[in-house]
Amino acid sequence: MSRKFVPLFSLFLVVMLILAACGGGQSAPTPTTAPAEAPAEAPTPTEAAAEAPTAEATGEGEVVHLRFISGGPGAGLDFTMQQVEEWNANHPNIQVEVIAGPTSATDRYGLYLQTFQAQSSDIDVMEIDVIWPGDLAEHLVDLNEYGGAEAVADDFPAIVQNNTVDGRLVGLPFFTDGGLLYYRTDLLEKYGYSGPPTTWAELEEMAQAIQDGERAEGNQDFWGFVWQGKAYEGLTCDALEWIYSSGGGTIVSPDKVITINNQAAAEALDMAYNWIGKITPPGVTGFQEEESRRVWHGGNAAFMRNWPYAYSLSNGEDSAVAGKFDVTALPGKEPGMSAATLGGWQLAVSKYSQHPKEAAEFVMWLASAESQKARAINISLIPTKRSLYEDPEVIAAQPFMAKMLPVFTSAVARPSTVTAPRYNEVSNIFFTNVSDVLTGKQNGTDAVANIELDLQDLLGFEVGAP
Amino acid sequence: MAQGGASDLAKREQRLAYWLLAPTFIVLLLIAIYPLMSVVYNSFTNAVFASTTPTEFVGFQNYRTLLSVTVKSIPPKRDEAGNPIIDERTGEVAYESAVSVLPREPQRFRQVTQFSLFGNRYVLGATDPDFIRSVWDTVVFTVATVFLELVLGMIVALIVNANFKGRGLMRAIILVPWAVPTAVSSQMWAYMLQPNRTGFFNTVFWYLGLGSGEIPFLSDPTWQLPSMIMIDVWKTTPFMALLLLAGLQLIPSDIYEAANVDGAGPLRQFFQMTLPMLRGTIAVALVFRTLDALRVFDLFQIVLGQARYSMASYTYYQLIQNRQMGYSSASSVVIFLVLSIFAIIYMRSLGVRSDER
Repeated sequence: MSRKFVPLFSLFLVVMLILAACGGGQSAPTPTTAPAEAPAEAPTPTEAAAEAPTAEATGEGEVVHLRFISGGPGAGLDFTMQQVEEWNANHPNIQVEVIAGPTSATDRYGLYLQTFQAQSSDIDVMEIDVIWPGDLAEHLVDLNEYGGAEAVADDFPAIVQNNTVDGRLVGLPFFTDGGLLYYRTDLLEKYGYSGPPTTWAELEEMAQAIQDGERAEGNQDFWGFVWQGKAYEGLTCDALEWIYSSGGGTIVSPDKVITINNQAAAEALDMAYNWIGKITPPGVTGFQEEESRRVWHGGNAAFMRNWPYAYSLSNGEDSAVAGKFDVTALPGKEPGMSAATLGGWQLAVSKYSQHPKEAAEFVMWLASAESQKARAINISLIPTKRSLYEDPEVIAAQPFMAKMLPVFTSAVARPSTVTAPRYNEVSNIFFTNVSDVLTGKQNGTDAVANIELDLQDLLGFEVGAP
Repeated sequence: MAQGGASDLAKREQRLAYWLLAPTFIVLLLIAIYPLMSVVYNSFTNAVFASTTPTEFVGFQNYRTLLSVTVKSIPPKRDEAGNPIIDERTGEVAYESAVSVLPREPQRFRQVTQFSLFGNRYVLGATDPDFIRSVWDTVVFTVATVFLELVLGMIVALIVNANFKGRGLMRAIILVPWAVPTAVSSQMWAYMLQPNRTGFFNTVFWYLGLGSGEIPFLSDPTWQLPSMIMIDVWKTTPFMALLLLAGLQLIPSDIYEAANVDGAGPLRQFFQMTLPMLRGTIAVALVFRTLDALRVFDLFQIVLGQARYSMASYTYYQLIQNRQMGYSSASSVVIFLVLSIFAIIYMRSLGVRSDER
């Protein structure tokens, strides 16, 4: 018996090793480009950390351990780990352990709900999406009790407003986000365009011309325009941009009117469907942010819709497009009708944490201007502190940020506040129907009619024009 | 059971047996019966997951929403003269939108699918089309995977049952897919099925001149289920082979020698001797696999997420994403009933007995 077992077991080990090796090579979600150490001119957050009172935070010699659920593997997580190591070195009494959360925000939301349902104290600090504060407020600590009001004095008011539920500040703005159009400056020049497109029609035309040209030169993998088309929250963001920039409204208006069922919205969805197979790869219906970024990163796309995080990665050493691209506001139906979906993440403390005071102290530090500055410079995440947009070091490192400030300040919000606590279902109805359009199961007109009916049933709101 | 007029000794033995069984029974009550009962109880409420919202009793409302279906006929679109309009793109008769014919009260019915019958167009509607689709998909997945795994598992088992050099190593190798945890192998396959040439399959197909190298295996509805079936067949065939191999080894080899002497060919030997003697083994294997496949969760959740559901991943979605604890409990109960029905049918038709009487 055991003699038979030895070959089996050793074989199993070998196979496992091979699998692990393959996994390391091909399936690593993001090539990390965050530098191993911050460049010399980047301010290290130690100064801020040193000022924090730690000796009185805990009893002498008692070490508080905090668990922090951060994002999925990638440059952001790597940098957060570095920052937390720094914190741990300066705060022997408050040791923070970073845990990589699921990459998909949807999965992360599920994870948080499960720990909240169990009222578990296993998680102390977490990153929450901009659409969740209303939904999760009852499980989060009011940071105003720990001096949150001063901490957010410099943040964009709209985001602070978003994170304040019934007067309770449940999350500190960590970074903000908005959809951007990435475009290849070198290819635009090569094909004789003077600047990036301002309308969807222009984008289509340019993408087609560049794609045809590049393929004729032998790059069969080249595509005009990549974006996020998988059935998930990201598709809600992309589709909201198409619709809003075509004058089709925001699905549900802030004054509780369901506005999705209109001609402009239907046409916007049909427009996106018509891109697929022409200027957009058929595989886009399975793309999340990273899949589209990989096509772009390999130099195989003329345009990409993505979040700002892709900026520094695209300038990384392993990138085929380093120095050959720029970002601008997304196109609209007419010039100037551009729209960017508001994204971004907040730091929150669980109500069930056994050390809310220490956890609050930690998030104050991680969301501070110094920390956000380091993140902006190193991994191109957009700060939520207004003062940082005038900071010369930030402007020098990320020139696009100052330029894109109007995009971030006027970003269009998903209808999460007006539909709370049912936003997740609203979004699911929306992206499922949009996904059906993209996969050819229904047309835009049917989709917006279906979405309207479903939302009426779910929310009981009035319907109207945007 | 004790016989009439049993001796004192037998009675004492019986009492002891009950005492010995008691701990097991109590543990079962705690870890199986209690959760099951609480799920059944929850399925009659509108409980919200991870929330302090008060819970109300709603009777059979959850079940009504889950299971209501209807079939309606769709009229064709007509121009002013009353003639059917032909769609320019497809060249077929254009029909009104299904939304216009499906009832909206008391609950709105939504389209599951459309089909044509005797020249008329019908729509199948349901109050929860996602659930109806997930039931259908799960049943299709189950039938396809179990059938393929049985056939392939049988072939593999017959091969490794033969006498040849390195048979032990071969048996070890075929077990590898079964040894890899489903979560890992699902993710592995998800990477291989990427919708562009970073994916293994798209690359291979492209080199063979099939497709554009851009086949969206996991987002195109026509490819989704075949992909799932393929992954499950790859993963579970070894298990099937192992079960069947165990059965094969119980068959005495001298009957084959006798058959050879009588001049029966290998095919005839297989269908007239091997298969009947394996009947019990196959029955057990089928029951195992069917019940397993019907409650498939991890594979669908990891590879398809919310793009397409199995019954179990739909339940998970309703609980975790939509926070509908009552509603997801109801769908759990439905799954439980579907499994029970399958199990009972199997037990009856295949003569698998739970006791040796």
